[in-house]
Amino acid sequence: MRRLPVYLVLDVSGSMHGEKIEAVRNGMQMLVSTLRTDPYALETAYLSVIVFDDTARQVVPLTELMAFQPPHVEAGSTTSLGDALRVTKECIEREVRKTTTDSKGDWKPLVFLMTDGQPTDDWQKGLTEFRKIKPGMVIACAAGHDVDTSILKQITEVVVSLDTADSSTISAFFKWVSASISTSSKKIDLAKSESTQISELPPPPPQITLV
Amino acid sequence: MTIVKLTTTDGQPVEYRDEIIGQGGMKDVYFSPDRSYVVAFFRDQLDFQGKERLKSIVGAYRDGIYSQKGGDYWRDLFCWPTGIVEKDGRFGVVAPVYRPHFFFSHGSVSNDMLGIKGKEKEGKWFASASNRAKFLASEEKGTWLSHLQICLMISRAVRRLHAAGLAHSDLSYKNVLVDPSTGKACIIDIDGLVVPGKFPPDVVGTPDFIAPEVIATQHLSKTDPSRKLPSALTDRHALAVLIYMYLFYRHPLRGGKVHDPDATKDEELSMGAKALFVEHPTDASNRVRPDHLGKFQLPWGDPARIPYTIAGPLLAELFRKAFVDGLHSPQDRPTPSEWENALVRTMDLIQPCSAKCEMGWYVFDNTTAPRCPCCGTPYQGALPVLNLYSSRHAGAYQADNHRVMVWDGQSLFPWHVNRKVFPNEHLTPDQRKRVGYFQRHQGEWFLVNEGMPQMHDVIAKLDVPVGGNVKLTDGAQVLLSREDGGRLIHVQLVNG
Repeated sequence: MRRLPVYLVLDVSGSMHGEKIEAVRNGMQMLVSTLRTDPYALETAYLSVIVFDDTARQVVPLTELMAFQPPHVEAGSTTSLGDALRVTKECIEREVRKTTTDSKGDWKPLVFLMTDGQPTDDWQKGLTEFRKIKPGMVIACAAGHDVDTSILKQITEVVVSLDTADSSTISAFFKWVSASISTSSKKIDLAKSESTQISELPPPPPQITLV
Repeated sequence: MTIVKLTTTDGQPVEYRDEIIGQGGMKDVYFSPDRSYVVAFFRDQLDFQGKERLKSIVGAYRDGIYSQKGGDYWRDLFCWPTGIVEKDGRFGVVAPVYRPHFFFSHGSVSNDMLGIKGKEKEGKWFASASNRAKFLASEEKGTWLSHLQICLMISRAVRRLHAAGLAHSDLSYKNVLVDPSTGKACIIDIDGLVVPGKFPPDVVGTPDFIAPEVIATQHLSKTDPSRKLPSALTDRHALAVLIYMYLFYRHPLRGGKVHDPDATKDEELSMGAKALFVEHPTDASNRVRPDHLGKFQLPWGDPARIPYTIAGPLLAELFRKAFVDGLHSPQDRPTPSEWENALVRTMDLIQPCSAKCEMGWYVFDNTTAPRCPCCGTPYQGALPVLNLYSSRHAGAYQADNHRVMVWDGQSLFPWHVNRKVFPNEHLTPDQRKRVGYFQRHQGEWFLVNEGMPQMHDVIAKLDVPVGGNVKLTDGAQVLLSREDGGRLIHVQLVNG
């Protein structure tokens, strides 16, 4: 059976310290418990978590829903967005099964990228790497006003923003992520066509603005 | 909590609590204060046609089904909207709440580890071998008999829609609620019904259930004459897929064949132009690869271990018509009424599994040593098989192609006693009562007469009064009724 790989790429730079990082932890917990009540997601969705501060690293490899444990994330230092894109690309290349003449591979992965600040590394170099793969849909979330959404717009067409990055908006974002995964895994289990347009996602809650 | 008060377009008062309790693909749903009905508002504006469609569904079509003789029967099979409301330019429908048995009472295993207790029993839970094996509490799973009953309810409901000139157009396990613990099913999301020639469909359907011709032509413009849109004929495909999935817990077209390296394109081909039954009798190219299945998908996920033919000759014939002859030839697909007939008769062919396995019941196959296809337990002892004949002209009896496999405690109903009675919405309350039952006593089988005043043992030439019984021996012949269409049963004893 084809799997639906979902990559959560999360900014854990110093500015995320405190309430925000706590909200991200709770958000992941809520995400996984919501998806566990969805019979489609249970059959198809696999989750991975990649975090980035001064470097990027995969803290949870692609894991089926029932085995997924939300990682303990701590806020660190800078914002290596470029490195995050590079690591995401490498993980997708390594973990997502390709279709062969003999065997059906996975669905194209969904990537949710959340950041609250300006990249501090050469993000364009990372983006060039990232462009070498073709994920199903990349959704970038600008948490708060310190983000240059024009950079995110170069990564993906689907950019949303949270006016304030606090526990209630971050929680709303994770809720929307889980609804999006349910929709896509339904669609995929049902339509088996990947979502590539924002119109195929559930309507975002009021705290989330489409950019 | 604010209570909003409205009046339906036909003047009925309606109230709801101003808090969304659920969001579907198209609608936001609110509870009435006493939770006896819901109000569901469409998020998008309805066009003129959409409004007209709603009016006729809530009005003329509803009346047509519910106000006829036996109309009450449909209350349990459809969640049919009863009124239309408008608020701030948004349209909505008023609909009954779902019955309590359509919500999980136990949920998942290990003290409901998934936290699904109280949630709707979405059909996908039950139509998947791995979800059943890994997660569902045993109290929720029902038996294979209750799954036959669910399929019967769905077939009957679709038959009624088609008879009214309607097509559902989006049948799927998303909009059919099922309850395997009681064998009940209910069609929801009625507001999207298609009236051929009058109200066209606004969705292509829910994938997994979309007919191949609809997928193969979806790139064409809506006005292109070659474009195929949902209709009663595509409902027939969706119905066959639903029945297959509820009886075998796998999809009939999802096999191992790779059509394209791109997952999206591969999907479009394998559900559309190149769709091929995984159990096609001669083309083996889309067989399920057992090495691709996880342990929780077995045995049901592997058609080589549990082929569709375990459903017995009547259903197997219809699966062939649906997925071999009719897959790319819509006119050849079985009608809902054919499914209804075959399901009713198949329920007379089943036997309880003596090991009381998860399947619980199976179609008795008397051509070989019969055994439960799920757990492998062989049938033991002598089994009476009743071949049913009925009178066509005075005194002449003809075979009805209807058999009854007897089990201890099984009931006889008026539709066994007379060919002209068929179990459906037209039964009178009297016709729903059993008129006899079978009992095994010290290794011998008996038919006990509870309500057949004309019952007669043909070989012994003796009447069997109500309250009396007759022993079932090989070659025994028992007349159940002397009326026109009355049945004669001929007993065969088969040794397991």
